[in-house]
Amino acid sequence: MLEIQNLTKTYGKHTALSDVTLSAHEGEVFGLLGPNGAGKTTLLRLLATLLTPTSGTARVAGHDVQRDPEAVRRVVGVVNGGMGLPARLTGREVLRSFAGLYGMSRSQTDARIAELDTRLELGRTLDVRAGEYSTGMRQKVVIARAVIHDPAVLILDEASSGLDIFARRTLLDFVAATRAPGRLTVYSTHVMSEAEEVCDRMAILHEGKLVTVDTLQGILSRTGERNLERAFFALLRGTPREEAAHVI
Amino acid sequence: MSSEPLPPRRSSEALRPGMVWRVAVRDLLATLRDRRTLMGTVLIPLLLIPLFTLGLPQLLGKFVGGQQQERQKVGVVGTLPPALRAALQRDEKAPDGSVLRAGVTLVTITDPRRAVEDGDVEAALRAPAALPARAGDGTGTLEVYAKLTSLRAQTGAYGKVQDTVDAYNRTLTLERLTALGLTADTLTPVQIKPVDASPPQQQRSGQLAFLIPLLMLNFILTGAMATALDATAGEKERGTLESLLVSPVRRGEVVAGKLLATTLTALTSACFSVIGFLASGIVAAWLQRGQSASSAELSQAFGGQLSLGFGAAVALIGAAISAALLISAVLIALSIYARSYKEAQTYVTPLSLAIVIPAVLLQFSDFLSTGPALYAIPLFGSMLAILDTVRGTVTAPNVLIAIAANLLGAFVLALVARRSFGREEVIFRN
Repeated sequence: MLEIQNLTKTYGKHTALSDVTLSAHEGEVFGLLGPNGAGKTTLLRLLATLLTPTSGTARVAGHDVQRDPEAVRRVVGVVNGGMGLPARLTGREVLRSFAGLYGMSRSQTDARIAELDTRLELGRTLDVRAGEYSTGMRQKVVIARAVIHDPAVLILDEASSGLDIFARRTLLDFVAATRAPGRLTVYSTHVMSEAEEVCDRMAILHEGKLVTVDTLQGILSRTGERNLERAFFALLRGTPREEAAHVI
Repeated sequence: MSSEPLPPRRSSEALRPGMVWRVAVRDLLATLRDRRTLMGTVLIPLLLIPLFTLGLPQLLGKFVGGQQQERQKVGVVGTLPPALRAALQRDEKAPDGSVLRAGVTLVTITDPRRAVEDGDVEAALRAPAALPARAGDGTGTLEVYAKLTSLRAQTGAYGKVQDTVDAYNRTLTLERLTALGLTADTLTPVQIKPVDASPPQQQRSGQLAFLIPLLMLNFILTGAMATALDATAGEKERGTLESLLVSPVRRGEVVAGKLLATTLTALTSACFSVIGFLASGIVAAWLQRGQSASSAELSQAFGGQLSLGFGAAVALIGAAISAALLISAVLIALSIYARSYKEAQTYVTPLSLAIVIPAVLLQFSDFLSTGPALYAIPLFGSMLAILDTVRGTVTAPNVLIAIAANLLGAFVLALVARRSFGREEVIFRN
């Protein structure tokens, strides 16, 4: 479902992502962990065809990100913490507008909006202008927008950023429910408890390089730590939490 | 598997009209729901244009006409010949007895300069020596004190004194000529009869005709600015551009959609400005029915009346649409570089100078040799074409050159914008 080979991205002299190779499979929620500046967002933007690789290749649901970006964009949905909504449009209008870009008919769109309304508990949010949304309301509609076309691959980059406990719970439940045959969810976060809860396997990035790819159990047993946060620090530096805290 | 990136496949970049329209609708909807933008694109053109083309000339007409009807105080030092005194105080009346021009009230003063400065009188007269009272009495000098830079004085007391003294001079001269057995024609064996050879439309267009291209293009810019900035820098700032770019819409379609939305908003603004002009023309004609002849003439001279034939209307619309496209393309190409709406405003605000300065030059367009080369200057060419249309001197080749120049400019800038939308450092510049 996701095949990445020797993927590198540089900005001038700065290497944001260096020679990353990994794969993720259908039916799993794949975590991408790392401190700020680790290269997570760069990797996800490369997968979403927003950036062009300096070298290496990546295939998303069988489509090469460079050779066929339009096909990639048809099968992915992307959410990141910084994404917003047009302030003067209602949630329903935003969703209809994006459904139109994916060639969905009005009846398909309305049925899908009703389904997402239930799953994401959108309620009256749908008919209120986005300018009046709280952070949680906004993020729910952003997620609904990203999955309006029922994408095979869902990419979430720090999607829980700024959410309150209720909105965060809705998000995590939604992510867990995306685990299905023919689907892949890539979940990028620096909140270890979230990764522990929803991710089947995870890749840890640090300073643009891939540190490891494994299941939670695999990482814990390899580092001998009792939770992911401790294992994360052990993998990055082999140092106690207090010393490594500044890298988060 | 190779670690080198594969060469990009040349996927079709053809624009799909449905996608372009969807992008445009999204931006248009956001624009139409912004009250400030609606004010700028609809209400302001409807109010400002009548104000400039109708209100201002009407006001000037009323001021000047009012001065004619008003009886001003004029100070006198010493004595004036009785006939001149009487002429100054006499009202000029129409056959029906209505006052066309009121005379002045003469009051005795001692210090003419001070009296004018203090506002006790609007003008003051002083004759250092006795003035001729009859033909053959010789010559004399009449000092007239007034605030000569004041339009009020020029059209009021000073103007009336000047006209009356001229008439008095003519009377004495005629008396002298008659005494010599000659007629008034002796002094002017050749008389000039001015005949206005400019087209009727140009005669009607008024002195403020140059304001029409200025206002029209300014409203196009104002209308376009709201949408262009919101659809580019605003989208970046809100984080909505990224979500659009990860959808299957092509970059060219994003640019075309935003250009379409911006142009439509700009044209809406231009449309309302034309409605404002046309409404002004109709209302001006109606208002002038109740004005005195001099006020109506002045209103006409300043404001004119816009009446367009079919060909002229097509030329005006063509020039406006192409200018709107060009201005929209400039705005989008520039504002996509900005990180925020505010930053974009600082980029595009100087653009208004690109309209105001050439528009001011249009006042002197009579001095320009307006060959095809001038019409080929993007934007300026369309200003000339609009001015020609208003004056009724428009020609099809000139309008077509102006439109083609604008379209070419818009096409090049749209390509620049398309390239910018594909550049990572532009899209993710923050």
